[in-house]
Amino acid sequence: MTKESKPTLAARRAFLTKLGGAATCAAAGAAALAAIPGASAKTEPAADGAAFPTKDYDWTKHQWGFGVDATKCIGCLRCVEACKRENDVPANAHQFRTWVERYVHLEGDDEVHIDSQQDPVNIEASGSEKTFRFANRYKDAKVYKAFFVPKLCNHCTHPACVQVCPTGATYRTEDGVVLIDHGYCIGCRYCVQACPYGARYFNEEQGVSDKCTWCYHRITKGLQPACVEVCPVGARIFGDQRDKESPISLFIRNNRVQVLRPETGNAPNVFYVGIDKEVN
Amino acid sequence: MPKHIVRLILILVAVLAVAAIAKPILTVDSFYRFGHYRANSVPEIAAQEPVYQTPRYCYGCHTERRAQWSAGSHKTVTCEVCHGPATGHPQSGKLPIPTDAVKLCTLCHEAMPGRPKSQPQIQVAEHSGGQQCTVCHNPHSPKISSAATKVSGDAAAGKQRAAACASCHGAAGISPNESWPSLAGQSAPYLVRILSAYKSGDQTDPIMTPLAKELSATDIQNLAAFYARLSCKSADGSKSGGDAAAGKALAKNCAACHGETGSGGNPAWPKLAAQKPGYLVNVLKAFRAGLRKDPMMAGVARGLSDTDIANLAAFYAAQNCQSTK
Repeated sequence: MTKESKPTLAARRAFLTKLGGAATCAAAGAAALAAIPGASAKTEPAADGAAFPTKDYDWTKHQWGFGVDATKCIGCLRCVEACKRENDVPANAHQFRTWVERYVHLEGDDEVHIDSQQDPVNIEASGSEKTFRFANRYKDAKVYKAFFVPKLCNHCTHPACVQVCPTGATYRTEDGVVLIDHGYCIGCRYCVQACPYGARYFNEEQGVSDKCTWCYHRITKGLQPACVEVCPVGARIFGDQRDKESPISLFIRNNRVQVLRPETGNAPNVFYVGIDKEVN
Repeated sequence: MPKHIVRLILILVAVLAVAAIAKPILTVDSFYRFGHYRANSVPEIAAQEPVYQTPRYCYGCHTERRAQWSAGSHKTVTCEVCHGPATGHPQSGKLPIPTDAVKLCTLCHEAMPGRPKSQPQIQVAEHSGGQQCTVCHNPHSPKISSAATKVSGDAAAGKQRAAACASCHGAAGISPNESWPSLAGQSAPYLVRILSAYKSGDQTDPIMTPLAKELSATDIQNLAAFYARLSCKSADGSKSGGDAAAGKALAKNCAACHGETGSGGNPAWPKLAAQKPGYLVNVLKAFRAGLRKDPMMAGVARGLSDTDIANLAAFYAAQNCQSTK
C-alpha cells in the first residue's frame, strides 16, 4: 500500500464532501420537478387495483413448479415441436425453448454419449430442420444404459440471468416465472451467458433473448404449458406448488426429486426424477 | 477554490440534475411497481393467444371419435399431438390427417435404446413389411380388437346350434372335405368377427350369408365358444399340390399376424395351422381377386402367384395345430 501525505487526503475528503452535497441538492431539485404533474412519461394505462396481471388471474395466489420424470420420457420430441408452434420459436434445429437430451452408455466405454435433436445425425433422420426425431443410431450398438432427459428453463428462485440484465428486461414474477420483456431487451446477451443451464437463446430476427415462459399465456388462463399438454407419456408435470394436491406438489412429495446444478445457488424450480450424475 | 475545480463541479451538478430529471420522464410508470422491471409487460405476455386448444375443444363436435379415443390405449395422446394445433379450425379449414403413419407412429413406437420398457415398441423393418400402421391399427384406439378378444359364449348352447353346421364343417368341427374350413380349435374372437361380418353383410358367401343372417349375437358368441374349445386335428397327410418348404419361406411375411406356424398371433386373426389346403387356396385367391374384402389381406394377396398360394397352403396345412407359435 502506498502512503499518501495528510494534506492530499484532507483535500480529497473535502472535495468529496462538497460533491456529495451538490449531488444531494441536484437530486432534491429533480425530485421537486418530477413531482410536477405531467413531467413523467404517462405512456401506459394505470393499473386498476383489480387482480394482476389479468382480471381473471391473481399472481399472488400461485407459485408454479415443473416436474420432469425422465424414467417415462420416450424421446418422441412432440414437446419440442409443440413449444415451437405455440410460442413462434424460429423454425430451425438450433434455437429452442425446450429440448430433449439422450444419454447413452456403451459397454466398455467410460464416456457417456450425449445428443439432442440438433445433432446432425438426428436432423438427417427427421428429414427437415422443422420437424424433430431421434435417429435410431444405437440400434446395433451394445448399449449398457440409455435414457432421455427433457430440459427447459428452470425458472430459478435466484436467477443469475435476471441479476445480470442491465435494463430490467428480464425478471421473476410474483408467481415464480422468469419472463423477458422483449420491448426492453437490448440484445446484449449477458443473460444467455449467465444462465448455467443454457436455457436461453438469442433470436437474431427480433434482436432479443428468448426462453421458456412455462407458457405464461396458457397457465394464466388455466391451461397447461403446451409441452405438458402434448406429452403422450406424462413425463412432464406442471402445477401450483401452493396447492398441496396439485400434480407438481404430489410429484415432489411422492418422489425423491433433485434439481440441476444446485451448487450454483440459482435454486431451480424444475424438479427431476430418474437422472444420472452426468445430467446437469 | 481553483477555477477549474469549480467548473468541474458545475458540470457534474448539471449532468446529475439532467439525469435526475430525465429518469422519471423516461421511465415508464409501471417500471418500479413490483421491482426493477416494467410491470405492464406481464399482462402483455399473458395476453398472447394459446395455439394448442386441448381435447376439450375437439370434444365439442367430434363426440364419436372422443368415445373411441378415450376408451383406448391412446387416451394419453391428445388430438393435437398427431393433428397439430386446433387454433383456427374449423373456420380456416381442416386439420391434417397424417398420411405417413409409419413415420408418425415410429416417433414413439420404434424400438430404441433409452425408451422405457413400458412403452410398446416395434422393430420397424420386421413388424409390418412396409405396410402403413393404419392398415391393422386404428390410430384412435390402436390395440387390435381389444374389445373383440373377450368371448363369453356358452359352449353347450353353441353345440346345439352347431348341429346345423355339421354337414359342411363336421360334427367335431373337422371339415370332411377340402373346400370348407375346419373350425375346431379356431380362435373364438376371430369366429365372432367373421360370423358377425357374414351377418352384417361386410363379408358375403352364397351359403354362409343366409345362414349367418339367422344367427343372433348370442348364437354367434355361443358357436364361437363351442368351436374354439373343440380339439383340432393336425395334418392327416392329405397332400396338396404345393411345396411346403417354399411355403415356409413365404410364410415369414404372415408371421406377424398369424404366428410363425399359423397358430399364434393375435386372436382377432384366424389360426391357419392344419387348415384344409383347398380352403386356404380358395380364400387367398378370393382375397387376391377382391371377392373377399380385407384391407390387410388384399395388400398381402395381391403379390402372390398361383404357385405361391399353393405353397403357402401346403405349408400351413402341414403344421401342428396344437402349437402356440
